[in-house]
Amino acid sequence: MTRGILVAAFLMVGRRSLDASIRLYALQNVFVAALAFALADGSVHLLVAGALLFVVKGIAIPWFLLVVLERLDVSHEIESYLAVAPSLLVGGLLVALAYRLGQGFVLAGALLPEAVPVALALLLLGMLIMSTRRKAVTQVIGFLTLENGVFLLALAESHGLPLFIELGVAIDTFAAVVLAGILMFRLKGVFGHVDTSRMRDLRG
Amino acid sequence: MLYLLLFLPLPFGIYALRDRHLRRLGVLGTTVPLLSIALALLPHTDARGALQLDGVGLFYLVLADALFAVVAVYALAYFEDGHDTHAASFYAPFFLFLFATHGAYLTHNLGLMWTFVEGSTLASALLVYHHRDAHALEATWKYLMLGSVGIALSLVGVILVYALLGGTTLDWRGALALAASAEPGRLQLAYAFLLVGFGTKVGLFPMHAWLPDAHSEAPSPASALLSGTLLNVAFYALLRYTALMVPAGLAGFAQGLLLGFGLASLLAAGLFMFAQRDYKRLLAYSSMEHMGLAVYALGLGVPWLAMLHTLFHSLTKTAAFLSFGNVFLAYRSKVLRRVGGLMHVLPGTGGLVALSLLALAGLPPFALFYAEFQALWHSPPVMMVLYLVGLSVAFVAVALPIGHLVFGAATQPRSVPQNRLLLAVPAALLLTVVWLGLFPPTGEVRMLAEVLPWKP
Repeated sequence: MTRGILVAAFLMVGRRSLDASIRLYALQNVFVAALAFALADGSVHLLVAGALLFVVKGIAIPWFLLVVLERLDVSHEIESYLAVAPSLLVGGLLVALAYRLGQGFVLAGALLPEAVPVALALLLLGMLIMSTRRKAVTQVIGFLTLENGVFLLALAESHGLPLFIELGVAIDTFAAVVLAGILMFRLKGVFGHVDTSRMRDLRG
Repeated sequence: MLYLLLFLPLPFGIYALRDRHLRRLGVLGTTVPLLSIALALLPHTDARGALQLDGVGLFYLVLADALFAVVAVYALAYFEDGHDTHAASFYAPFFLFLFATHGAYLTHNLGLMWTFVEGSTLASALLVYHHRDAHALEATWKYLMLGSVGIALSLVGVILVYALLGGTTLDWRGALALAASAEPGRLQLAYAFLLVGFGTKVGLFPMHAWLPDAHSEAPSPASALLSGTLLNVAFYALLRYTALMVPAGLAGFAQGLLLGFGLASLLAAGLFMFAQRDYKRLLAYSSMEHMGLAVYALGLGVPWLAMLHTLFHSLTKTAAFLSFGNVFLAYRSKVLRRVGGLMHVLPGTGGLVALSLLALAGLPPFALFYAEFQALWHSPPVMMVLYLVGLSVAFVAVALPIGHLVFGAATQPRSVPQNRLLLAVPAALLLTVVWLGLFPPTGEVRMLAEVLPWKP
């Protein structure tokens, strides 16, 4: 399952279609939710957290992003500073780095030590996507991948965070995505595009 | 009672989404924070559970509410004078931001605190977005993205701390008691994430990129709130987590990092300030400088001094942003060179601008001088040199524009702000800052800081 998450995240780096990226993000979450269920072992907390994850991040957020993308009326192609091959290369190096550093992050009593490097890899790949992609939508997907890495880390190190905090984090994430969605419409309205690399009036 | 205090601003936030009546919203914006202060100062018997208000929480909560009330008074006059068409949309994020701020200061759970800090980012992003033009969009987008990444990194730290405490509790007192049993090496790793994450929101160099954009594109009352309260929320989170390192035996490690980041921010901000052509960006970099100084004071292991510095900075910076708000109302431009000779054309505002810049530069008898002097007093010799260099550079950078702005050749403003409150509010703040500089509440703040585990 942890491999599935990693593969889904890694494929995002190589794909040029936004729709595929969003679907891969949804797939990541289905895997993470399944992982939570598998680890639950009857504990209500992880069952609820898994269900919450599945509903909010597996369905609601990807659906919202697809709707936004549809309404935005921009090309569904990912524009990146990096071509596909170098992207995959850098992504591969980051995954290797995550596995190299991963041991340092495994705490005594970790529930799922093998998921720790995967969580780190998601974190790094998310940052890679955020920093090399030009469309605002892809930056959001990058952020969400990063955030997934954080969630996976919580799952791997201990039984996630306490449930009410998990709930707070989910609400925050969802609110951030909705806010980003609204901003993207305004970006399109004001600039006529959603290319963040062309927003460079403020500096210094 | 604490639950009432927490949720008090929330219904008003929802109400403000619909109401377009500026006067009513303005009055609510003042009374709700004042009511909150009254609630916070009542004796609290329910000292159990997730919500608690100890000395440090009370200190920051009262400061934040006082600033919200003051800014609401000014904002009403500002929006009316400027005929701002988006004015009514200021208030919903205003109350939501207040709610998140209350949450961050009231919760005694270090994880829940994180969710409120993130909530304050989202609410304040809406404040930055106020003008809805291309620049506001760019600033909001950068703020949202950078802020979210920063805060996500700090969540990694929160998770590691939770796991290191055996996955049992994130309650502040519980965590303090357990911290000694945590594995020091891994706790250092966790702290590094927390420092980078919350440090992004505090505006520490080199994670500060969002700060000048957000501060300069927000309307002046919102800039005042960002500098005066938002940065403190993040600083408060950093303060709590740094305190956790003390019983774990990592005080030296954490403080070393804080000293480094604090000094780097001070020096970088001082240099950035020289290059600014926009007065709001100048003030934004000055916030970075002062947050760096507060972090530095924490790094010296003197938490009460850090608290004192944030208090003085919040009041002074609010006065400065509001004074410059008048300049913007008159000139409709944020460019330093377009404004000149305020003493001749707008004497009241000119005086306020000069005094608030001098106060920010750290001139006596303004309160920041006291805090900066105390920090110098506590510094080890090597640090002292760097600290003095940084302070001098920042002093010159902040004080230099006064000559042209206030005493230079007069530039005619497009209109003259009429409302007396526009002058009275920053003047009152500056008087408070002078008062606090002459009679610094050191004893009181030290007492409030006693809940922190540092030895006095």
